[in-house]
Amino acid sequence: MLSYIVRRLLWLPFLLAIMIFITFWLGFYGPGSPEVVLLGQRYDPETAAVIKEQWGLNEPFALQYVKYVRNYVTLNFGESLTKYQGQPVARLLARRLPVTMELNAAAIALGVPLGIILGAIAATYHGRWQDRSIIFFTVLFRAVPSLVAGPVLLFVFAKQLKILPVGGWDGLFSASAILPVSILASGVVAGFARQTRANMLDVLSADYVRTARSKGLSEQMVMSRHVLQNALIPLVTILGLVLGSIVEGTLITETIFGIPGMGQLAFEAIGARDYPIIIAVTVLAAFIFALANLWADLFYGIIDPRIRQS
Amino acid sequence: MARLLEVNNLRTQFFTQDGVVNAVNGISYTLDEGETLGIVGESGCGKSVGVMSLIKLIPTPPGKIVEGSVIFNGENLIDMSDGEIRSVRGNKIGMIFQDPMTSLNPVLTIGRQIQEALELHMGMDKAQSKARAIELLELVGIPSAADRINDYPHQFSGGMRQRVMIAIGLSCNPQLLIADEPTTALDVTIQAQIVDLVKKLRDDLGMAIIWITHDLGVVAGLADRMLVMYAGMIVEEAPVKELYANPSHPYTVGLLGSLPRLDQVSGEKLDSIEGLPPDLIDLPKGCPFHARCKYRIEKCFTENPPLKTIGVGHKAACWIDVTKDPITTERPYQEV
Repeated sequence: MLSYIVRRLLWLPFLLAIMIFITFWLGFYGPGSPEVVLLGQRYDPETAAVIKEQWGLNEPFALQYVKYVRNYVTLNFGESLTKYQGQPVARLLARRLPVTMELNAAAIALGVPLGIILGAIAATYHGRWQDRSIIFFTVLFRAVPSLVAGPVLLFVFAKQLKILPVGGWDGLFSASAILPVSILASGVVAGFARQTRANMLDVLSADYVRTARSKGLSEQMVMSRHVLQNALIPLVTILGLVLGSIVEGTLITETIFGIPGMGQLAFEAIGARDYPIIIAVTVLAAFIFALANLWADLFYGIIDPRIRQS
Repeated sequence: MARLLEVNNLRTQFFTQDGVVNAVNGISYTLDEGETLGIVGESGCGKSVGVMSLIKLIPTPPGKIVEGSVIFNGENLIDMSDGEIRSVRGNKIGMIFQDPMTSLNPVLTIGRQIQEALELHMGMDKAQSKARAIELLELVGIPSAADRINDYPHQFSGGMRQRVMIAIGLSCNPQLLIADEPTTALDVTIQAQIVDLVKKLRDDLGMAIIWITHDLGVVAGLADRMLVMYAGMIVEEAPVKELYANPSHPYTVGLLGSLPRLDQVSGEKLDSIEGLPPDLIDLPKGCPFHARCKYRIEKCFTENPPLKTIGVGHKAACWIDVTKDPITTERPYQEV
């Protein structure tokens, strides 16, 4: 198991180098070049030529890429070209990542247990009204994108009822967090409820559940001791995916609610072609994704003895 | 020997989208203390559902015991509440199942899975149940049981897992052990080991056994008495030697004829019973076996023969006498 972890960790730098390569390559050949974006309205060919020379933008792709990677190794992610002109990207990320993490931590902390509980209820009452209503709402949560749900909720709670703020961020434990956290959590709830339900129904027909019943265990004991743990094992994969996609997950929500997190930063940067930010956010997202998956694999080992001992 | 179990006209049905599946159609039999009863029949003839119904272990819905009684120690198990029947399951009646590879929970230790029933029914604490679990593992022939108790099922082979299942089934000193095809999923040498183990445990512990199989050879040396089931009905019942010596239902004759024999000329084809068992949703009129029966007469198409006594402890449900009456058709299945 330990050698497996080490192997996975050794892979990580290569993975990140590949991610940097892809995003850098897209940025290099994509529309808009740094000096154009930087100068914006003040563009004149002479200044542009000077900047290109200074920044080494005339050098070949391979050389530029190598320099970029070298900078990344020393945690120098460059500077913003547009809205936050002159500010180091590293500092922007450091300021915004905590907000996104808080937002996601809250959504996961609420959404995962609630989803598992609802899924377990649905499976226990398979085919009855409890099951049907839970399925209905989870499908609804999944089907309505946050792009629609966000404005609708804002309209109802902020504009009409005037009980919640329109946007902004006063920290996790403030009224401003209620709507964005709810929207993010509802997606998590829906995913986990449906998966828990499906897994439990699967496990309920397993032979070892019949064995458990033949021992005279009550239905609650069968559920809690034999069904639930087995049904939760596949959820680890989904949790890994959810954890891994926190940056993408908040892109729209943070933008709609004006929350100064990574998602909003990425959204602005993409619109403005602020390549240093785009590349940094993408690489960071990949890094988080890789770590989350590694964590998921390790967690498998904890809850599944078959993996722990292999 | 005192009467332990009395099954009267037990009828279990499954209410599915395609219709009502008549899995068990009014079976009656008895079992004495310490007696071993073998139940044979081909797949889907209601053997498993029949014994699962005894302790109400059929999935409800869609399954339902629609009629009959199961008198165990003077009490009707069918009338018991969920709580009452649970105090019998795993306690007075133990069970072992067909596939040991899937019948144990993969995420719990062997010890935990044995101790569970002990703590529930015998009121033992963790230390007591652990000591007893080690004892049980030794009893079923698991070497270095004290160490292996913390192992998980995937660390055991199929035969060892079936031994663990037997340990679970016997953990609370049951009066009756129900074994639902416990050797079917094992290879032949392991089959023999498991049969020998159960035989030895029965002689030591004195429990009664209901042993389900579709292999007549497996139960021959184990059972005292045999039931032959077909289409959810009992078609023949006899002491084991009598059944092998004088099979009296055409289905039993066919089953025995399909066994390979040591004195058989090599290359000779085994007999088989042509055709398939009837659809349990739409049972045919008359005898359920008539479509495959070489001895059938006119009456078999219209009237289902009752199970009637034909010898000492020997009953068969057939209109004809296979020892005397002639074969009426060689290829019955193709004519229907």
